[in-house]
Amino acid sequence: MGVYILRRVLTMIPTLLVISMLVFVIIQLPPGDYLESYIAELQSQGESVDEQKIEFLRSQYGLDKPLYEQYLVWLFGMLQGDFGYSFEYSLPVTEVVGDRLFLTVLISIVTILFTWAIAFPIGVYSATHQYSWGDYGLSFLGFLGLATPNFLLALVMLYLANVYFGTSIGGLMDPEYIDAPWSWDKFLSVLEHLWIPVVVIGTSGTAGMIRRLRANLLDELQKQYVVTGRAKGLSPRKLLMKYPLRVSMNFFIADIGNLLPAIISGAEIVAVVMSLPTTGPILLDALQSQDMYLAGSFLMFLAVLTVVGVLISDILLALLDPRIRLQGDVAK
Amino acid sequence: MSRDEQQAHFVSEAEFNPHSIEALTPEQERYFLASQWTLMWWKLKRHKLAVICGVILALNYGSVLISEIIAPYNLHTRNTDYIYSPPQSVHFFHDGKFVGPFVYGRDYELDMDNLKRLYPERKDDVQPLRFFCSGDPYKFWGLVDADFHLVCPPENGTFFLLGTDRLGRDVFSRITYGARISLTIGLVGIMISFSLGIIIGGLAGYYGGWVDASVQRSIEVIRSFPELPLWMALSAVLPVNWSPILIFFGITVILAMLDWTGLARAVRSKLLALREEDYCTAAELMGAKPQRIIGRHLLPGFMSHLIASATLSIPAMILGETALSFLGLGLRPPVTSWGVLLNEAQNINVVALYPWLMFPVVPVVLIILAFNFFGDGLRDAADPYK
Amino acid sequence: MRNSLFAFTLLCASTQAVAETNSYIEAPSLLPLVESGDLPPIEKRLPQYPEVVSLEGEFSPGTHGGELRMLMGKQKDIRQLVIYGYARLVGYTPTLEMKPDLLQSIEIKEGRIFTLKIRKGHKWSDGHPFTSEDFRYYWEDIANDPELSKSGPPSDLLIDGEAPKVEYLDKYTVRYSWSQPNPFFLPALAGPRPLYIYKPAHYLKQFHKRYQSDDRIAELIEEYSSRNWMGVHVNRDRPYKATNPDLPTLQPWMNTTFPPSERFIFKRNPFYHRVDTNGRQLPYIDRVAVNIASSKLVPAKTGADESDLQARYLRMDNYTFLKQASKRGNFDVRLWRTAKGAHIALFPNLNTNDESMRRYLHDVRFRRALSLAINRYEINQVVYFRLVLESNNTVLPECPLFRPEYQKSWIEYDLQHANDLLDELGLTERDDRGVRLLPDGRPLEILIQTAGESTEQTDVLELIHDSWLQAGVKLYSVPSTREVFRNRIFSGDAVMSIWSGLANAMPTANTSPKELAPSSKYQYQWPKWGQYFQTGGKSGEPPTLPEVQELADLNAQWRRATTAEDRTDIWHKMLSIHRDQMYSIGIITGVQHPIVVNKHLHNVPQDGFYDIEPGAYFGVYKPDTFWFDEARR
Repeated sequence: MGVYILRRVLTMIPTLLVISMLVFVIIQLPPGDYLESYIAELQSQGESVDEQKIEFLRSQYGLDKPLYEQYLVWLFGMLQGDFGYSFEYSLPVTEVVGDRLFLTVLISIVTILFTWAIAFPIGVYSATHQYSWGDYGLSFLGFLGLATPNFLLALVMLYLANVYFGTSIGGLMDPEYIDAPWSWDKFLSVLEHLWIPVVVIGTSGTAGMIRRLRANLLDELQKQYVVTGRAKGLSPRKLLMKYPLRVSMNFFIADIGNLLPAIISGAEIVAVVMSLPTTGPILLDALQSQDMYLAGSFLMFLAVLTVVGVLISDILLALLDPRIRLQGDVAK
Repeated sequence: MSRDEQQAHFVSEAEFNPHSIEALTPEQERYFLASQWTLMWWKLKRHKLAVICGVILALNYGSVLISEIIAPYNLHTRNTDYIYSPPQSVHFFHDGKFVGPFVYGRDYELDMDNLKRLYPERKDDVQPLRFFCSGDPYKFWGLVDADFHLVCPPENGTFFLLGTDRLGRDVFSRITYGARISLTIGLVGIMISFSLGIIIGGLAGYYGGWVDASVQRSIEVIRSFPELPLWMALSAVLPVNWSPILIFFGITVILAMLDWTGLARAVRSKLLALREEDYCTAAELMGAKPQRIIGRHLLPGFMSHLIASATLSIPAMILGETALSFLGLGLRPPVTSWGVLLNEAQNINVVALYPWLMFPVVPVVLIILAFNFFGDGLRDAADPYK
Repeated sequence: MRNSLFAFTLLCASTQAVAETNSYIEAPSLLPLVESGDLPPIEKRLPQYPEVVSLEGEFSPGTHGGELRMLMGKQKDIRQLVIYGYARLVGYTPTLEMKPDLLQSIEIKEGRIFTLKIRKGHKWSDGHPFTSEDFRYYWEDIANDPELSKSGPPSDLLIDGEAPKVEYLDKYTVRYSWSQPNPFFLPALAGPRPLYIYKPAHYLKQFHKRYQSDDRIAELIEEYSSRNWMGVHVNRDRPYKATNPDLPTLQPWMNTTFPPSERFIFKRNPFYHRVDTNGRQLPYIDRVAVNIASSKLVPAKTGADESDLQARYLRMDNYTFLKQASKRGNFDVRLWRTAKGAHIALFPNLNTNDESMRRYLHDVRFRRALSLAINRYEINQVVYFRLVLESNNTVLPECPLFRPEYQKSWIEYDLQHANDLLDELGLTERDDRGVRLLPDGRPLEILIQTAGESTEQTDVLELIHDSWLQAGVKLYSVPSTREVFRNRIFSGDAVMSIWSGLANAMPTANTSPKELAPSSKYQYQWPKWGQYFQTGGKSGEPPTLPEVQELADLNAQWRRATTAEDRTDIWHKMLSIHRDQMYSIGIITGVQHPIVVNKHLHNVPQDGFYDIEPGAYFGVYKPDTFWFDEARR
């Protein structure tokens, strides 16, 4: 086991290196650089641009250096815990992102809980009642969330919540609570706003969850030991809960690899439409304005989380399931 | 007991057949002799919803072939006297009498205070719809001149089943034309990702070793990458002077390029298991080349599975196209796809004042649901011996 | 500015009125601070002669208090508050006259010697006196510091490469002088993004190498994780971006929130130099709260009464929604005019790489034909409720330089004439779609680049498409992102583009006419020619059309012209060339902009110009004089 983990960790290093290169290339792919898109933005609004200042900034930001040099500076900076500087915010990247992490994680966790709360009973029901109208109906509800384009649903819900409940549009709290210390009122205001993104993001995830739970459970339910148990007169409830359900839950663990980065990045598009104070809009903005270190470091962060997440889920699976453990590294 | 009596003991006259006990009923025989595809079909039939969804899909794809005929107006026909006209409802009875499908004529008023256009109905002006008629002229498939439509607006009248947009274009017609792009983007995309997945996954699974390792690593890299930046970067590379159709194709490729990993993984793990089977070793010993072994012996073994999972990823492509449009990276007007239409509907004016412009959401939802249920049914059916 | 620029004094007319009002009225929100001794009393905070703002007619003196909510789309948009605040050394009035504002007075000799008088007792927002030292710091320690300004002082301060002589006559007097007239100096000071020739020296010295030990500088570099000390200095010194709450300012409101945030609070500057006729120190409003929301949500949020004064990110097509929402909400929707030469214009790229197209684009008949084949009336009706002017890309009717022919030439919808012109050019062959063929056999297809920022442009193009087709010209619109759009134009890949016309269509004779002449790479009709003049011939290409060369010459003449008559004359010559040559094909102008104003907010004019240039959006209407009535205080 120890060897297995060590090997996995070692293979992570070249993977991450390749990812870092890819990230850098991808950020550089769109034409121009941050300062050009900054000039374009100012000029499109008729604001004057101080060309000399731009030249100065270009050398300050190191944008006049060759690409490989910019890459190496960034890479070695990251190794030393320096994630670079955001041009757009004129702040170190950690300060820009750090501020928003808490709310992002909050939304994500609530959303995941919401997704599970819906998907779990539906998945179990439709596996145990395969091809019944209940199965069809509930899966239909689940898929409905997946099929509705999130960005439109988000806007409609914001508008309706404003018209019928008077909730302020967008954001995660009424504006007066932003930057205010936590209080009961602030908490209530967050609750009042939180449900819309949770429902919009959550509904799009339930379908996948339902489908996987259902498929896994169906597989499990056809196994011999279930048949034996049923023949021996085990109550259906116990028969379901005791083993099949547990085994079919393995995919939750296998999902950690996807879950970790998803928690941090949030659902970008919905977050943009709803103007949520999460990391998603920052990432999108940074990509669009070519704020390269902000975008790059954040992407790198997500990539590391994915890789680590996959590692954790593999290790957990190995620990939980002796079959995987014994097969060694075929686990993937 | 006489000997005769003893002889009366029943002896079958029939020829001795040692296998008679194992003989199959005709049903069983059909079952075991049926090809895999037939089995799948039988199994699929049990999933009623999947069948219904399959029919819906077939109808939709069929309609794409004749968009020009179904749409009462052309894609770019503007009715500048009817800007932001709400949907016109089709009536059948006028003054309690049945007159067949008709719409009421309408007036136009401009509310200068709010800058809002109003279209009050004239309740006495019955305008019957025309069917199988000549309307807007078009080039069928860009080749043949024609003007035949299923439904046409009344003479000197209008028929906006789902209202009009800001240039007075008929929303229903635009949805019909938009389906052409939106529905095919999924198919084309899936074909690309399918081939990529099979080829790459097949190579990895069959050869193993360093091929497998490097494929595995690249899949890992692609997967640990958030989709959005990849989309953005790749659509930024699309050459400057491509025509809209090429761009459309490019975007499809982009969507597909990110989608093959899941399939490749599935192919690989199946192959890893299958190549150890005896029949594979046999083929190898007989001197079959790897392409032949993979293509002829291994792939058919789980083709049904692959098709089912491909069906399930088409919806992701269709939604991906709408998301790309939303980000301003995908198709843009004047190209018309459902994503473009939805993106145009994505503002507060529409939500508050012109909700009918959000109608394209209905076909999107319908198609995606249909694909999901159909794909689910296919997948349940893909393992026929279960 | 109206008569002659060359011997006049901009005097603060209201200076005298101040002397009589001795008692100033303290803002209630500042009283506790004054009582606790944290702030000096108002008499000590105001300059000896504050700027007295008289509010008459539509405007009335108000009272202190309240919080103004505004919405912005991005964090860096908070610079808009610096534009809206519009406290400049000299500034424009709504009638576009120039008046001293931060300065007590400015004296100009021969258009080349500028003597700036600072108000005695004027203080920065931290209470430190505002003196000629602040000017000296800028000129000597910033503009002429070899490390901070590698290429020397900014171009607006250079005339033919010559830097001004800057003298500090006493604590309150600074003199800038050149050997030739500098017509760019004052407009640069009065701009929405002003040329800051003064900096809070007492604050910035702590970041300047010349005033700090090397150890201290090294510490600073570490602290701000910067590459070098210039990075720290530039980062701390961003008066326009308003990202540094510690940076003292002279604006009516000062940012108090450190980024990053979703909500920026701008608090009143207790040392602000303006008072009303009752002696109330401005601004009336205590705080401005800028909430950041995605720009697409701004109309929705405004309609939900979440902003008290909003124009940014609203568009004409939101009017119906806002008007409807105003019945539920607590706000008015007003329509202000915009000051663009054309809201939408086509720019034939005279520097395109496509040689056969370039030949035609260079022919004035071709450009005229394209213009004549546009049905502007239909565009006006379909997209703009017939509320806008069908017009060329030229100055607005409200402008003193306006002549009807500038607006009306070659814009009537005349397909016959357009077809005749194109036939005359030899484009007589047509393919089976009716599209004319170029001599090399290609169909006459024009790809128009759009930045795709609004559907408005694609809509207009769709309308133009149909009428052009009747003239045998096929139009394709090519949407892309803003950066790609611009790069295609600069590189010559673009044949034509669609964008807005003249940025400032309300010029006076004293406004530089450089927008009409090739002068910058960012001119979409001749990017390479513009670049040629911008870089002094180092890059780009010299113009090959005599009329364009003439425009460039006229532009140079304008700079040397010494009388208002000469300048007016030059302006008219340039405008006439544009009228005749159609270097840009204007479509419509005079589009209005919805302004949402809370019902309890007073002194926001019913009608005005909403544009950055001239006017700094709300700036010339003095947002510091806007006030809330009791319901919102």
